[in-house]
Amino acid sequence: MPEAVGDSGVKATGKRKHTANGDVSKKKRKSENTHDDDNVQTTIERLESEIQESKKHYNNIATILNLAQAHNEKPKAALAASEALCRIFIRLLAAGSLVKRKDASEKDATVTNWLRSRLEDYRRALLAMFQSAKLASNALMLAMALLKAEAQHLNDSAEAIFPRYFFSDIVATILESPVDQVMEEFSEKFVDEYHDIRYYTFEAIKAYINEREHNVSEEIRDTVFELLISMEDVPDSNDDLEEFYIEPPQKKKHPLRSLSQHKKRAQEAWLALMHLGLSKEQRKKVLEAMSGSIAPWFTQPELLMDFLTDCYNTGGSISLLALSGVFYLIQERNLDYPEFFSKLYSLLDADILHSKHRSRFFRLLDTFLGSSHLPAVMVASFIKRLARLALNAPPSAIVAIVPWFYNLFKKHPLTTFMMHRVPRTQEERDLLESQGLEDPFLPDEKDPMETRAIDSCLWEIVQLQSHYHPNVATIAKIISEQFTKQAYSLEDFLDHSYGSLLEAEMAKEVKKPPVVEYMIPKRIFTKAGDSPEETDSLLVSLWDFGSP
Amino acid sequence: MAGSQLKRLKASLRDQGIIGPQQSKKQKRKNAEEQRARPDKRLQRGEALASIREQFNPFQFKTNARGPKFEVTTNKPVNEKTAMGIKGRPGVAKAAGEERRRQTILVEMQRRNKVGGLIDRRFGEDDPNMSLEDKMIERFTREQQRNHKKSAMFDLEDDDEAMGGLTHLGKPLFDAEDLPPLKDDFDEEDLPSGDESDGSRAERRMLKRQRLTDAADGPEEEEDGQPDRKKTKNEIYQEIIAKSKQHKYERQALKDEDDELRAELDEALPELQALLFQRQKPPSTAAGATVATGQMKAALEKDYDIRVKQLAADKRAQPAERTKTEEEVAEEESNRLRELEEKRLRRMRGEAIEEDDEEGDGDEEDGKGEKKKKKGKGAAAEEVYDPFNTEENDEFGLGKGVKYRPTATELGFDDEDDFLIDDDLVASGSDLELESDADEDDSDDEAGSGSGSDDDDDEFVKGILTEAVTKDPIFRVSEGKGDDENGIPYTFPCPQDHEEMLRAFEGIEVPKLPVAVQRIRALYHPKLDSKNKERLGRFSQVLVQHVAYLGDRFELHWFPALESLTRHIHSLAKSFPIEVAKAYRAHIQEIEQERPLALSVGDLLVLTAVGTTFPTSDHFHQVVTPAMLAIARYLGQKIPQTLADYATGTYLAILALQYQQFSKRYVPELMNFCLNTLCALAPEAPSKLGGFFPIHEPAAGIRIKNAHKTTIRKLTCADCQPNSSSSSPPAASASLKVAILNTTTTLLKTAAETWHTLPSFPETFTPALHILHHLTSSSSTPHLPPTVITTFTDTLTPHLTRLLRLAHLTRRPLELHHHRPLAIRTYIPKFEDSFDPDKHYDPDRERAELAKLKAEHKRERKGAMRELRKDAAFMQRENLRVKKERDAAYEKKYKRLVAEIQGEEGKAANEYAREKEARKRKAARGR
Repeated sequence: MPEAVGDSGVKATGKRKHTANGDVSKKKRKSENTHDDDNVQTTIERLESEIQESKKHYNNIATILNLAQAHNEKPKAALAASEALCRIFIRLLAAGSLVKRKDASEKDATVTNWLRSRLEDYRRALLAMFQSAKLASNALMLAMALLKAEAQHLNDSAEAIFPRYFFSDIVATILESPVDQVMEEFSEKFVDEYHDIRYYTFEAIKAYINEREHNVSEEIRDTVFELLISMEDVPDSNDDLEEFYIEPPQKKKHPLRSLSQHKKRAQEAWLALMHLGLSKEQRKKVLEAMSGSIAPWFTQPELLMDFLTDCYNTGGSISLLALSGVFYLIQERNLDYPEFFSKLYSLLDADILHSKHRSRFFRLLDTFLGSSHLPAVMVASFIKRLARLALNAPPSAIVAIVPWFYNLFKKHPLTTFMMHRVPRTQEERDLLESQGLEDPFLPDEKDPMETRAIDSCLWEIVQLQSHYHPNVATIAKIISEQFTKQAYSLEDFLDHSYGSLLEAEMAKEVKKPPVVEYMIPKRIFTKAGDSPEETDSLLVSLWDFGSP
Repeated sequence: MAGSQLKRLKASLRDQGIIGPQQSKKQKRKNAEEQRARPDKRLQRGEALASIREQFNPFQFKTNARGPKFEVTTNKPVNEKTAMGIKGRPGVAKAAGEERRRQTILVEMQRRNKVGGLIDRRFGEDDPNMSLEDKMIERFTREQQRNHKKSAMFDLEDDDEAMGGLTHLGKPLFDAEDLPPLKDDFDEEDLPSGDESDGSRAERRMLKRQRLTDAADGPEEEEDGQPDRKKTKNEIYQEIIAKSKQHKYERQALKDEDDELRAELDEALPELQALLFQRQKPPSTAAGATVATGQMKAALEKDYDIRVKQLAADKRAQPAERTKTEEEVAEEESNRLRELEEKRLRRMRGEAIEEDDEEGDGDEEDGKGEKKKKKGKGAAAEEVYDPFNTEENDEFGLGKGVKYRPTATELGFDDEDDFLIDDDLVASGSDLELESDADEDDSDDEAGSGSGSDDDDDEFVKGILTEAVTKDPIFRVSEGKGDDENGIPYTFPCPQDHEEMLRAFEGIEVPKLPVAVQRIRALYHPKLDSKNKERLGRFSQVLVQHVAYLGDRFELHWFPALESLTRHIHSLAKSFPIEVAKAYRAHIQEIEQERPLALSVGDLLVLTAVGTTFPTSDHFHQVVTPAMLAIARYLGQKIPQTLADYATGTYLAILALQYQQFSKRYVPELMNFCLNTLCALAPEAPSKLGGFFPIHEPAAGIRIKNAHKTTIRKLTCADCQPNSSSSSPPAASASLKVAILNTTTTLLKTAAETWHTLPSFPETFTPALHILHHLTSSSSTPHLPPTVITTFTDTLTPHLTRLLRLAHLTRRPLELHHHRPLAIRTYIPKFEDSFDPDKHYDPDRERAELAKLKAEHKRERKGAMRELRKDAAFMQRENLRVKKERDAAYEKKYKRLVAEIQGEEGKAANEYAREKEARKRKAARGR
């Protein structure tokens, strides 16, 4: 495709010119270094034009290559050289000078071989540039341009053949490169844009990991993880696969054109990564992205089952996060999770209401307990347990719990005995009078069917009706009001925090003069006098303010 | 009437005098003469003929199928036609319609495709006989005439018909009625009634159609003299003018009468005056000085008026309040306190009784709304609160009226707490130096006697005043005006922001600050200048900032001063509640935005000040609620790393509990923090706890180890400062740890006492008991001072156990829903008193209106369609007629031509025959 080549060539020159101009204008003001660089520039240009003129000057390639390889010493010159080389090689590729022909003369064959080995050198030089922060992104662009040209022209056939080895080298170098920017650029400009690049990236990642097995360092794992997790939008059907960087093969059946092949590659890459073992942080990230961007890539999500169930059984926040993945499997794949509800019940520990994943958990919990066919005994256990937790919960959690209770009470009328239980017989009443009442709820029982919560009462919520925050107290009062409302929309009550509550309070302007305490504070920090009417305030009695 | 139709006709004709027996010539002549003199005779004849014709045409009227109805009472006016059961006159209506069509449609039809363009109506344009000049002259004359006519609208000379001739009360003097009837058939009284009077509908349609076609004539105009004739505007105006004139006249007459009466009285006045004042006046002067009395009277009146005004303005005229006895004053005071206490309780329960509180609640509800709206569910969220809103409103109805609540300033002035600012001190100016102390004492005494329990107040003020600080190294004369013996200047600028305050108070030792503040308050007393109110408001805000500022740099001996500053804030808050509240809120906001989990000592002091300035027991309070939230946030979210964090948390926990001392509201964060602190400080981590609070693993070196010999002390604010505890000797840190432990356990005990009535008390405090057990267990005891252990085992644990047992005994199953069952909503059935089946009783007004419009539309549509159909038929008929005419003409012409040709042919044939004959004859002759 001469047009494309010409195009990229023009682009490259344009870019070069731009940088050169910039350099010139900058350096003119600066130092004598300018001269040197200018010299190099002109030399390269001269050498390049000579190569274009005749085959005799092919040796110039080696000269430029030397310049390019010395990128550590003279980055600018190296960049100019590699750009020039890129143009040269693209032109040569387009001209077919690098294709081995059977009918070619021996001399030609040697030239071709020589050129090929120079190309190989050039590639290596480019990949080496990935290590330097300055040149990396330019090197990436050049490498990808070269990749494209190679795919189209390096072989005899009319169809483009993806140069996998070169590409996997690129991917490997990117993964190992200390420059984060390259990775970002690569994923932004190529992986997200072109489906075939993504496909081969998956492949390259899998190969990379399999090759090295457990020698993969922690950092590289992170990078791989970042790269994989950035590939989000899973195409819906084969027809969506249409963005190709390199002309795709015409065959309909080619794996590049089939979604399931894409998914398979992605799945393999993920599995390869997971086999390496994930750190806790990574696990959390994986779990967070699970239902959104990982599971859809899997042709066989069942493969995730072990991972998810392991995570779910770990406990703590990992369990919470695994919940949505497990739910995805249950919902989509008919995963049969035995003792699901007792596991869910065990998740309701002391930390759950203080966790930052609280609202996420509540959304799921609302889904899980949404069925009206669940046994009331179990629902009561959940209610009672959460009520207990609410005794030590922040206001934002209480605000979410109580309306949810209301909805459950509406859905499971049997549980309303927890709010209203009248002793029926005289003996019962007498017993209450004489011995009081022990809460029949068994907080340590693991099985939600056996906690006897249904026989208990929600004293906890009644206690919260005298919560210090007026809005929380008002919300807690809904369980003693008449149940006239159909249901509360849970979304209104999730996602609160101390900050948002305070902000809401502060957002109100003080328009009306606030009530001022009418009792005069006679003693604040000092101790009370000897008079018998005065007593120390709590603060003074417990705190030393230095008064005699 | 018997006989055939013909006979009857003849009879009726004879009756009307149209036909009669043969008249003689003489008689005929006479009749003719009479007729000439009275032209209406012929008209009468025509009328009579028409009536006869009508009478004999059975299709003239549309009647009820079964004859006239029986007489019933209706609202409709009865006339003879309805009485006869005549419902309409189809023939007449048809003829009228036909006629109208002929005038409109027919004209249009005939003009169609024939005429158009402009008609030149200029005078003389078509007249070939006139010359151009003639035309011009004629046109000019016409124009002048036209103009002249218009300008002479009210020209009496102009006998114009437009004026309507002479009128009386809007009616022409010579009415058409008085004239002999001059009507044409169409105006007959009974003629249009078929369409008109029998229903407004037909009338309206008629009018509409008339308007549509814009027919030139208006024959349907109703006759004069009918009762409901509409008056013209002219008539109405005439009437109005007449009426107003009449009123004017009446008023005039009344006034005249009054004047007369007044004159009479004026004459009698001197006598009356003499009688009134019982003064003997020399008759001579009395007689001669009528003019003088007039002047005197005026002067007297003026004098009198002035006197009255003076009396009214005199303050002594106001009834003075009785001086109250001491008991009464005390009773009043106690009543006031009781009332205030009641109000506080109501606020605590969140009830909205007073207007202010209602507003507050409203705010609160708004706030909730806002809170939810922020989440994007405004309407739904407000609905959430609806049940409560409405119920509250029902219970404590809005209609209870505005109760009088003493304003803050009013309370402030007779308040013992109002810091000794009396007007003499303020006003005396130069005497200030000498009297200030005495004044303060005096006013203090006054204030003290007010409640009888505030005697310490002056003590503390005095103490501050007498304390000498002459040794102060940074002391400096800030104002040239003069200082007292303590080096505090008597005058200050009123600081409007914190920097100004720092500048103003530069060189004044902190313990002396209250004096300075007091002086500022006196100097800028709101009574002295209108701007002072604003200044003091700002000052009170700055004072709040200053308390925080001082708190951050506190020294132990400052606390009495800080206390007095706080009290100043409290008393300022009575006058400037909004300003002080805003200052506090700003501080809380600053805390929230900058250091929610790293409070400084200044913040602690501000939060303490909030608790003393405002009632913390309120269900909702603009300042206390955010403050409480800020405290709870620290307690709930802070994971303490250092001992200072624990100390700060303990202070806040104490504060939170003190806030809730009165209202006994539950603070979960307090429990979490206290239990966590105990767990963290325990020498060994407790193995098992029954609670549901999250346990944070303490940082290294927090646990109490080997503090066996440590003495127990109280916590101080210095412990809250992070630098003090970081690099301290182990002994000090151990004593701090023990102090924290001890304070926390005491706090837990107080909390248990405060909350032991709460329904879930056992669940809340069982973990505390577990921890106490753990602390007194064998693993912990070696590390703790024995006194602590003994307090744990001897007082705390038994106390808690007792409270728990009590709670257990008093616990009952919940019975929250003894609500009255909700009634099914019912509606009162609606009965219509005068039900009319023809009428529509749609309760929905809009729908009824729509139905009405629809019906009208339908009616109109039908009418229009009928009319259109008739129009079409008419046009058809006309076309047919025209065609027939044309055909007939053609036929006639054709026939004529044929006849002509035939005639010619016949003539030619005859000629031919003749010619032939002639030739034959010739030939015969020739032969």
